[in-house]
Amino acid sequence: MLGAAGFAAQGQSGAEIPKRRLGRTGLEVSALGIGGYHLGSAASDTEATQIVNEALDAGVNFFDNAWEYHSGLSEERLGRALKGKRDRAVVMTKVCTHGRDKNVAMRQLEESLTRLQTDHLDVWQIHEVIYENDPELIFAPNGAAEALLEAKQQGKVRFLGFTGHKDPSIHLKMLSHSFPFDSVQMPLNCLDATFRSFETKVLPEVNRRGIAALGMKSLGGSGELVREGAVVVIMGLRYAMSLPVAVTISGIDSIEVLHQNLEVARGFQPFSAAEMQTIRDACRLAASDGHLELFKTTKKYDGDLGREMHGFPSSAELPV
Amino acid sequence: MPDTNGAPIPLREFGRHDVKISAIGFGGHHLGDAPDERTAVRLVRQAVDGGITFFDNCWEYHRGKTEDWMGAGLKGVRDRVFLMTKVCTHGRDKALALRMLDESLHRFRTDHLDLWQIHGVCFDNDPDLFIRKGGAAEALEQAKKEGKVRFVGFTGHKDPSIHLKMLATGFPFDSVQMPLNAFDANFHSFEQQVLPELNRRGIAALGMKPICGHGTPVQKGVLTGEEALRYAMSLPVTTTITGIDKPEVLQQALKVAQGFEPLQPSAMQALRDRCRQYAADGRFELYKLSLQFDNPEARLAHGFPLDTQQVEVREMIRMGDNSGHPYPPTK
Repeated sequence: MLGAAGFAAQGQSGAEIPKRRLGRTGLEVSALGIGGYHLGSAASDTEATQIVNEALDAGVNFFDNAWEYHSGLSEERLGRALKGKRDRAVVMTKVCTHGRDKNVAMRQLEESLTRLQTDHLDVWQIHEVIYENDPELIFAPNGAAEALLEAKQQGKVRFLGFTGHKDPSIHLKMLSHSFPFDSVQMPLNCLDATFRSFETKVLPEVNRRGIAALGMKSLGGSGELVREGAVVVIMGLRYAMSLPVAVTISGIDSIEVLHQNLEVARGFQPFSAAEMQTIRDACRLAASDGHLELFKTTKKYDGDLGREMHGFPSSAELPV
Repeated sequence: MPDTNGAPIPLREFGRHDVKISAIGFGGHHLGDAPDERTAVRLVRQAVDGGITFFDNCWEYHRGKTEDWMGAGLKGVRDRVFLMTKVCTHGRDKALALRMLDESLHRFRTDHLDLWQIHGVCFDNDPDLFIRKGGAAEALEQAKKEGKVRFVGFTGHKDPSIHLKMLATGFPFDSVQMPLNAFDANFHSFEQQVLPELNRRGIAALGMKPICGHGTPVQKGVLTGEEALRYAMSLPVTTTITGIDKPEVLQQALKVAQGFEPLQPSAMQALRDRCRQYAADGRFELYKLSLQFDNPEARLAHGFPLDTQQVEVREMIRMGDNSGHPYPPTK
């Protein structure tokens, strides 16, 4: 396992968590963001609230979510925790049309706003663009792309984006449509660097266009990279945060995990180019068949709603 | 015998070799779904009598049961068929491959295979692991030299790019097996990307999954089993391997295959067009997009999670049970 020995020291306790520009939006976001899915997995509402509040106080201001996470629980928890503090946060959630039309999207937006207890989102993204015909469906007449523009016009959302975890080619297909995306979310970790790589194929293009890059799955989605011995947590997280991204969204389901990740983020200093290369090289073999990036190679991370809309077996019928 | 048209099943050239095999092949995995050995033996005999000469199998199917049952069915008629099985190294070494070969031969009750293929070349690094020093490529060469196998090849169902990477190793394959059906034609297409290359090189092309493995598009009413089979068999392949687990399925296959005439290009195009909207997200080709068709040997060798619903995994778990009874069951 790749440990931290021999690498420059990580952040300093007590120092600030760095802020970065969110593309050309004019917003500044913390280099570490709180993933919404895991907020729904936290043991209790109280712990979820505690995670959000401690994160805010530590200088984390980016909060991720999605309409479909835990059937709404993730959005509800974030909404409750941010009550009275909404203005301190950059709130993003995702719309889950999975190929369906604008009306479905607008209805979901209203539900998200209600659950999040706010009148606007900072970023609204199309969730889980992972099926090869998704771009086509999203940009079809009366598709989800039209909903994004309409919501922006209505002032209900400030900025627009999309996300997906499957294949760089699908992201590039989305980007080939001349649509004013403000953000693009993608898996970025030290194994992705050498396997169906978003880092090499999508990230440079997003940066070239001034679109904010949002990294996710820094440890494989559920800590696979760590459990299977590819890297230690802090190395995996530091690698992802050292890439040219606006924010690295990290799934945090307990206070312990929050504390661990805050330690990495405080006073964060990116790895040098040489250190990054050393890490990529050390992970190359583990990356080469995709068994630790199951979101790319299996159905494990593909949500049930998307499967249903695309006529695929459910996660109960086809778990991995 | 069967209610079929009685015309012979066409025989086709096996690649660049002076050998001919039936245009339809008997898929080994489904044989293990037959209720018992007696039924399986009868199915195999009826297939041979119906004119099928190509028999597919694999070391890991049903943890050896299908090789065993097929061997029993071929007793006395071994010389009338072209027998293929696959080796499940999945990146592991030559010695393991040769041990699996001996086990396969033993189960088949034969001293040689007509064709031995590398099974499940499905992960991006499989070609590198295959061709490495001490890898399975060396086992294929040695087995051929020792006369235990006549021809060698590989198979996989995941992505045309992995097949092309295997071909790029320069290893002298005699055959290559791949999914070919009217959905594949428009999605990560082996038909478009791999098949022409094989034909150009004189490598025997073996089609599989003519109805997408479990027949889902037939159940959903997109096309009939017969249409699906006709489409696959009309492509420039040596044979189309189809899974056979019961007499009705065998009868349907024989009915299509006996006196088979390929579809006209316009009919092929019509089928492709009908399937196009479903091909767009790959919903009927789960072998390309999920691990559903990846057997435990492949998953274990590569460190992917197992699926406890898979028959091979259930068999492996049973092997570990202390039931008080011997395993495998004694006859």
